[in-house]
Amino acid sequence: MAVPGTFLMPILLLCRLSPNLAAARSPTGVECVLFNEEYMTCTWGSREMLTANYSLYYWYENRSPVVECKHYLQDQGVSIGCHFNQSEIIQFQPFRVLVNASLGGRTLEIPSKRMELQDLVKPEAPVNLTIRNMSSNQLQLTWTSPYPKAQCLEHAVKYKSNKDTSWMEQRVKGEIFSFPSVDYEKYYTFYVRSKINSYCGSTQLWSEWSVPVVWGNNSTSKSVVEEQLHWFWIHTVLIPIASCLLLLVLVILLVRMERVWVILMPRIPNPSKNFDELFVTHNGNFQEWAGVPKDIVESFKPNYSENICYVSELPPKESYEHLWESSNHLLSLMPTALAAPCEHSPYKSTYVG
Amino acid sequence: MERMLIFCMLFFCSSMAMTAAPHKIATYKQLFKTITRLETTVKDKDVELLHTPENPVDGCLSTAVICFQKGALKLQPENSQVNSTFTQTIRVLQKFTFSDSGKCESSCESYEKKTPKEFLKSFANLIKQVIR
Repeated sequence: MAVPGTFLMPILLLCRLSPNLAAARSPTGVECVLFNEEYMTCTWGSREMLTANYSLYYWYENRSPVVECKHYLQDQGVSIGCHFNQSEIIQFQPFRVLVNASLGGRTLEIPSKRMELQDLVKPEAPVNLTIRNMSSNQLQLTWTSPYPKAQCLEHAVKYKSNKDTSWMEQRVKGEIFSFPSVDYEKYYTFYVRSKINSYCGSTQLWSEWSVPVVWGNNSTSKSVVEEQLHWFWIHTVLIPIASCLLLLVLVILLVRMERVWVILMPRIPNPSKNFDELFVTHNGNFQEWAGVPKDIVESFKPNYSENICYVSELPPKESYEHLWESSNHLLSLMPTALAAPCEHSPYKSTYVG
Repeated sequence: MERMLIFCMLFFCSSMAMTAAPHKIATYKQLFKTITRLETTVKDKDVELLHTPENPVDGCLSTAVICFQKGALKLQPENSQVNSTFTQTIRVLQKFTFSDSGKCESSCESYEKKTPKEFLKSFANLIKQVIR
């Protein structure tokens, strides 16, 4: 019966210790970041971790033996990470890391997955941001990156004017950004950051934002408001009063001065003087006054009937006399009807065949 | 006249040499895009496994390229619709040449056999190495 008791004791001890050691497992694995391909830091925890003795071992699969970290990063006496030099970094080779946590004689392994270091590169922020003013309201922003291989980088530009509320972000492939339409009244701020592009690695690690660069008219908002207030007073008070006064003066002038009134409101001319003859002499008879011939006046009357005037062609010489006789005969038969109109007809005596 | 001609030729050749370096990187980038496109159209099931160089060291890059090109000949398209573009793409892969200094001890058969998609992923990884 004592035997199970002796086995029970270490089990109880382990049970008491293991939650402590399990708490040390709470940091989620090991995270490594290559900074600008110059050095690397692998961290496995933060200040909230359990105070234990940590040691890191790393190796490249099928390439190098297992080596312990030479430079630990400490935080209040506890190792929380490891610093690797450039000579200890090999890219495109599978990298493995093992962290041992020992507390009170028990050790716990924090494993890590297989890593490829080219996917963990964080480039440094771009520097030397310069703005050039191109023609036709265009700005060109250029920068350089401390990262050695420019063909491996893609960049993102973030900008805002002093009148915008949110930032605009744009991705760029080269080291030039063209800002198409710049407003010279506004004040712009630009930031740039970089990332390794898909041709050299698959990372989502953006660099830090660069030091900002500014452009434009740096008038402070206070003076702008004062200026606006000034303009407001002019527009809403001064101009209406002045125009009302002007209107008043003009109205007074108009009413009081006859000479001005006559210019603006001239007398309507009365042309009846020219028509005295028509109204007085001829008693309104327009046709009489205008001198219209009497027979035309007659022809305008409604019961007017015109007599038919016979017109005939004069025959050749032989029957000339015969025709004269017959026409005289005709005339004698219809004296009243034909006499008046035929006198006027021109065809009777002129035409000879 | 002859001197001017020779000078012009020299000038032309030197300018070609200067543009050759960035041109190469553009070729590699184009090749990378081609390989990633192939990954979507390649048949992955019931096919022969291929020798896949995994993370070759710097001296073995050209050998690895040759191994990949040999293995690519055995790739098959997923369906018959993409057949013509697929064969053309494989032919483009064969035209790629890469020269590397150094001796390589491993042969193609010494590498592990993997599925076509993993084969192409490793090929893409190799091109990333070359671009760097």
